[in-house]
Amino acid sequence: MAQPLLELQDLCVAFDTERGQIHPVRDVCLSVYPGQTVALVGESGCGKSVTALSILRLIPQPPGRIHSGKIMFKGRDLLALSEKQMQHVRGKDIAMIFQEPMTSLNPVYTIGDQIVEAVTLHQGVGTRQAYQIAAESLHAVGIADPLRRLREYPHQLSGGMRQRVMIAMALSCQPKLLIADEPTTALDVTIQAQILELLSKLQRQRNMSVLLITHDLGVVAENADVVAVMYASRIVEFAGVEELFDNPFHPYTQGLLRSVPRLGAKEGRLATIPGTVPNPARFPAGCKFHPRCPVTRQAAASAPADRTIQVRTGEETFPVLRTCAVEEPLLRQVADGHWVACSQVDTYAAAPTSLPVLQHRRQVNAAFVDPQHEGQPVAQELGK
Amino acid sequence: MNNPPPTQGQPSQPPLPCATPVVPQPLVQVRDLRTWFPIKRGVFSRTVGHVKAVDGVSFDVYPGKTLGLVGESGCGKTTVGRTMLRLIPKTSGEVLYRGQDFYQYQGQELRRLRRQMQIIFQDPVSSLNPRMTVGNIIGEPLQVHGIARGQARRDMVASLLQRVGLDPTYASRYPHEFSGGQRQRVGIARALALSPDFIVCDEPVSALDVSIQSQILNLLDDLQSERKIAFLFIAHNLAVIEHFSDDVAVMYLGRIVEKASAKELYANPKHPYTLSLLSAAPSPDPRPTKRRIVLAGEVPSPSNPPCGCHFHPRCPLTREAAAAANAADTVTIQSGDETARVLRKCVEQAPVLEPKHGESGHVAACWVT
Repeated sequence: MAQPLLELQDLCVAFDTERGQIHPVRDVCLSVYPGQTVALVGESGCGKSVTALSILRLIPQPPGRIHSGKIMFKGRDLLALSEKQMQHVRGKDIAMIFQEPMTSLNPVYTIGDQIVEAVTLHQGVGTRQAYQIAAESLHAVGIADPLRRLREYPHQLSGGMRQRVMIAMALSCQPKLLIADEPTTALDVTIQAQILELLSKLQRQRNMSVLLITHDLGVVAENADVVAVMYASRIVEFAGVEELFDNPFHPYTQGLLRSVPRLGAKEGRLATIPGTVPNPARFPAGCKFHPRCPVTRQAAASAPADRTIQVRTGEETFPVLRTCAVEEPLLRQVADGHWVACSQVDTYAAAPTSLPVLQHRRQVNAAFVDPQHEGQPVAQELGK
Repeated sequence: MNNPPPTQGQPSQPPLPCATPVVPQPLVQVRDLRTWFPIKRGVFSRTVGHVKAVDGVSFDVYPGKTLGLVGESGCGKTTVGRTMLRLIPKTSGEVLYRGQDFYQYQGQELRRLRRQMQIIFQDPVSSLNPRMTVGNIIGEPLQVHGIARGQARRDMVASLLQRVGLDPTYASRYPHEFSGGQRQRVGIARALALSPDFIVCDEPVSALDVSIQSQILNLLDDLQSERKIAFLFIAHNLAVIEHFSDDVAVMYLGRIVEKASAKELYANPKHPYTLSLLSAAPSPDPRPTKRRIVLAGEVPSPSNPPCGCHFHPRCPLTREAAAAANAADTVTIQSGDETARVLRKCVEQAPVLEPKHGESGHVAACWVT
């Protein structure tokens, strides 16, 4: 069995706040294999970005602190490295692209200066050669006339172009792992399609791993090999992408999938998940999802009174199962290659608590990968 | 069904007015609306050109119905919405509200009419004044328009809050105490305060998480059927537009390139831009069956749009058609870092919106289809 490139073991992150310590990331176990794309999905405030920043040790300390756990990268624990050693990992072995390219590019330096800085730092080459590498990496992300672009400032570029520059910068040092934190959320669909296609092409060429952080299930479905769904600081479901979309077990995953408006399925009303993601300072006891969970509510309606408990959310009071409100379920392997943290899943009670690890790769239609393969003529699709 | 030859030069027809059914009268009509922003240069601020943000747009919005307006950022969707409400002055064209030119009204009359036309903004953070309580934010229009003050106003605010799914006691809180979805509910309550019959929804759910997004969409849906409000629903997410709209207009660089009923547009798109937007939208299905059409390049700047059909530098259809056409009918263009052969007609003449094979009322502006 191949070794995972990145392995998070029981990662817990704490922040000290005025109202005491909060834990935006708890007991996160996650493995990323070489060449694999692992998606971390969830709504805002569920801990996705904190997880990503922790991997690079970029969370502000204080108030933040990696409370416990290990971050194994190529067999080394990143948490044990000195700050100096860590600087060699950042950018060189693990690179990151952020959601908002305007705030992550420095407005007072040219694009060239910024890429060259990373290249000279990590590759030990002279400035002239670094400019050469920078131009090549701009060319690789599909930017025309790279030598002119290198002399431009971030504000002279469009949003899609800036995101390409971010990708070029991230990939200029040939990292093994790319952490992409909502890389296309701020972009239009047409530009999003370009950027995602570019990312997957570069990933295939370099056998690079990608940790893709997003809330867009469409992006996940089309790009991930393996998906981890996060809710209120924990991973609540983990499976291969096809398995997850075919058989979502966790009521939160089911709710997310149902509430996405789909093209060509004009139903009367959209399904919703009532309420909002809880603030980490006020996590409910038991399963963090129980105040919003339709499954426990339904089960409680027909359960004997001593097995239920009344829950009050902002607007209403209703009964839920006592187990859900008291005991927090942990990830268990309920099916082959499928882990879930929900005590109401049929096979959960008897399921083993194995470590969630999947080397799974998505099935890709070969015609989609082959650049020579032409799609159906556009004219035909326009129904002429 | 192979590549058909390009349509031979049809005599260009005047733009057909969109289908006007006899029975329901449109509530709001937009006729050839233009909003140009001057580009000023030099010491004397001479106008050296114009950004044609909206360049000849026409459509109708019917009472209690939703018109979806979709397109990439920078195509002028928001400017259309704001010009309709006179938040931005028009350059030319007409906006008719119940058959009367909205731009003719002044003073008291204008203010009275403004009650009927409201807007919900995209960003629920910047569109709510952080120094005002939610009660004042929602109640201010009631006071300004002399509808209610004092206890009556507080009662109305409470019932509005309740209607949008917020606790009436929240009236004394400030916007920062709310989550994004709740803030958007406050924005909706404010728009509802004056009982309008037309609301411009400018990307009301783009900034929200999926689960919250569907809550807000359902709320808007309920309000529409309850109060018979007409919506101009501006969004870039095609699935949201499809779910929500009766009719859809697709905009590209200040012009409408295709317009049809929602069902027809999604089932039978006739403009290559619409097709590529549909194809680019990621679908929550891990086994896609169709190869995606990835458009080359980005939306060009509206200050210097491409000649002829604005879409020709990115258009996959004209390239296909050019490959099968006579060399005399094609030209070579530079698009980004590549050269492409396209039909001469697409470069030289702007296509007009005209009916295509499909449902009546389905119009598209394309020389090839």
